[in-house]
Amino acid sequence: MRLAKYVKFREEKFGGVLFETRSEKVFTLNPVATAVVREIVAGHAAPEIVRRLTERFRDPDHAIQKEAEAFIAELRAKGLAED
Amino acid sequence: MDSALKTPAASPPIPGKTPAATESGDLGAPLYVAWQITNECNLACLHCIEESGPGKAFRDELTRDQVFAVLEQMLEQEVPYMSFSGGEPMVHPLFFEMVDYVCARGAELKIETNGHYLTPENCARMKALGVKAVQVSLDGASAATFNRMRVRGNFDVAVEGVRNLRAAGVPIEVNFSPTKFNVHEIGACVDMAWELGAYSFYSGRTMYTGNAVKAWRHVAPSEEQYVVFFDALRAKTDEYRGRMRVYFHEMGLLEELRYRLHHPAALLIVLPNGLVKLINALPFVCGDLRKESLADIWANFQRAWQDPRVAKFVEDLAHDPRKTAALHQWVYL
Repeated sequence: MRLAKYVKFREEKFGGVLFETRSEKVFTLNPVATAVVREIVAGHAAPEIVRRLTERFRDPDHAIQKEAEAFIAELRAKGLAED
Repeated sequence: MDSALKTPAASPPIPGKTPAATESGDLGAPLYVAWQITNECNLACLHCIEESGPGKAFRDELTRDQVFAVLEQMLEQEVPYMSFSGGEPMVHPLFFEMVDYVCARGAELKIETNGHYLTPENCARMKALGVKAVQVSLDGASAATFNRMRVRGNFDVAVEGVRNLRAAGVPIEVNFSPTKFNVHEIGACVDMAWELGAYSFYSGRTMYTGNAVKAWRHVAPSEEQYVVFFDALRAKTDEYRGRMRVYFHEMGLLEELRYRLHHPAALLIVLPNGLVKLINALPFVCGDLRKESLADIWANFQRAWQDPRVAKFVEDLAHDPRKTAALHQWVYL
């Protein structure tokens, strides 16, 4: 995956921000969302991103997996990231 | 866990020059820096809030070394979005070097221009460098209104400049400042922006400051005119939905400033001499990039909004709207 052309990402103490500079909308990210975007910036594919996150963090009830998958779907739906 | 993705905290519409609606308090750096890189301008527009014009460059505008030191700080702090305005930014001798410096480092950059230097060569150069968008001021759909407002300006040259942007493939935004003698053309101007290839159209209220103070009785639209004006913009917003974003700021200045007292935008306004303002519509300065770091100024920006002098100025505006005439008498916080 990759961020859409006009989308900028910056890490913050609370997580991060995505700034869609064409529509000029800012989205604040919690730590899980920030971790997902970090993986997108690194160029990983969606299934790989979810796998990498669930390997890195304990996720016995699959909460992180579900949240990461939902977030990736939302990024696609909003046009903030693409495959 | 909190929702992963959310839009900024609920906020009313904000003017075109403050796109970063996110509240700034928790951020490590601004999300947007609007830099008036020079006060020099080839035009002398009746309504210019900066009092720009020929020979109006500040005597202490940043030197070459200072310009690039400031840019370097912004890029190090990962400011994702900047705009260069003026004055007329394209008359700045370092304009293309500055554009190259920002774009090559991956930040998004918008140019706000009067359109008179948008030659095919300059447009191609901006495209090659990766400028995000060029915003051109088109305050009218005819030479009669445009040339009256933009003293020394030429409607045909500005329109040709926009056409050159389109030919070069540079994304286009159009800005419209209302006056009593051009508001009736707002619908035609939105249509013209679309025909010229713009993807965004901005407008709002003309401010009582800068050159507009002297020309107020010639430029200020009446409230009745504003009602019709904003109705037309609402209709155009619907008409162009999904094709071109029509974005306008109907809120009065006082309402906006009262909101900003509690919700400062993630935006810094940088003047040609490196002073940093809280917001364009207030006289308060919260730092000097010639002497202080961007990080220190950003921290002071948060504190400065809490300064009682700021709240008092805003509330005084309720009784005396003409206080905005003094915006260029800077107050250091």
